[in-house]
Amino acid sequence: MNVKPPETDDELFVLLRGGDEAAFVALYRKRQASIYRFAMHVSGSASVAEDVAQEVFMALLRDGCGFDPDRGTLSGYLYGIARKLLLRQMERGRGDVPLETESEEKVLPGLAVTDNALDDLTHREGIEALRRAIGTLPRRYREVVVLCDLEEVDYADAAGVLGCPIGTVRSRLHRARALLLEKLNQDRQPRPSVSTLKPIRCFI
Amino acid sequence: MNCQEFWDSLPEVGANADVQHAAECEACASLLNRHRRLVDGLKTVAAELRHTGAPARVEVGLVAAFRSHQRPVRRAARPHWWVPALSWAAAAGVLIVAALSLLHPHQPLPAHRNASSTVEMAAVTDSTDAYAADGDDDFIPLPNASRLDPNEDVNVVRVEVPRSAMLEVGLAVSADRVSEMVEADVMLGQDGVARAIRFLDESM
Repeated sequence: MNVKPPETDDELFVLLRGGDEAAFVALYRKRQASIYRFAMHVSGSASVAEDVAQEVFMALLRDGCGFDPDRGTLSGYLYGIARKLLLRQMERGRGDVPLETESEEKVLPGLAVTDNALDDLTHREGIEALRRAIGTLPRRYREVVVLCDLEEVDYADAAGVLGCPIGTVRSRLHRARALLLEKLNQDRQPRPSVSTLKPIRCFI
Repeated sequence: MNCQEFWDSLPEVGANADVQHAAECEACASLLNRHRRLVDGLKTVAAELRHTGAPARVEVGLVAAFRSHQRPVRRAARPHWWVPALSWAAAAGVLIVAALSLLHPHQPLPAHRNASSTVEMAAVTDSTDAYAADGDDDFIPLPNASRLDPNEDVNVVRVEVPRSAMLEVGLAVSADRVSEMVEADVMLGQDGVARAIRFLDESM
């Protein structure tokens, strides 16, 4: 008789808590890449992402790890720990300036975006520009783009990870995409050439 | 439906949402098209990063931590009458050796931890720098790992890792053997985080 190997995160979690090393390794291999990428995108640092990935899975080994399948998915729980670790890291580094003054619920679509920037997205340079643009988003928008657009986490799980209503996830995502379009467009604006600059005064 | 309501109610720009408003409003239709192209670009970014994950050394450290965490639990599950007796005898033996050492001081010998074929855990309580002692034992500090305190207790756990993990610490591995498994001893700090590694077979 063939016994189906456990595949769901919850089954693997129960087994690993019972001391099954293979289940722990299987869960790690299944989930580590997305946690690592999330941390790398949000922090912009591979070494921070590595520390976060390690700490997230170490948390599963602790006695009171706090995961409750009734409250959400294991994947969401892991992202949640990763996010808390990243916020703690940013608190220490103060590397991010949040945009607290912007309204989250009202997203006005009126942005002057040309199609040229979007045409570039079919080329290598355009994709690189998009990656850079994601990195320059304010943290609250960056994390929602990474979760929903890059890691394809559904809105309900993303809301759980970010600790906000689904509507807020939706509005942040709209705003984030609008900001990305704006940034891509700005990248394409030609810089003023030296000949067009007017000298004003020299004190030396 | 006005433009604001349209954007507020749009669940996903990639999905076939209610686009009736977009059919009537040229500005929204144009912006919706740009958002969709942006989402396509984001999907390309996600696809390019699909194989990005944490380095192999993270898994090595976590497996070692898992074994270190599980070991006391397994011991507690099968108590034997002779365990306390043996512990007291060992403690008495240590006290006698310590007393003799105080009476007849001599040069300390370098510590050697010869791992057996099963998982081995050894508490090292030397007051010397653990990494300095590791020089004799071929332990290689892991990149980004913090240094051990001179008086910190360490555990050594034997694990089996892909040979590609040797690349992470700067050892050469031939391309055709990267996926082979190799035994390694991992040194864990008091916090359970891996600090150094020693490969039992360092051949390329």
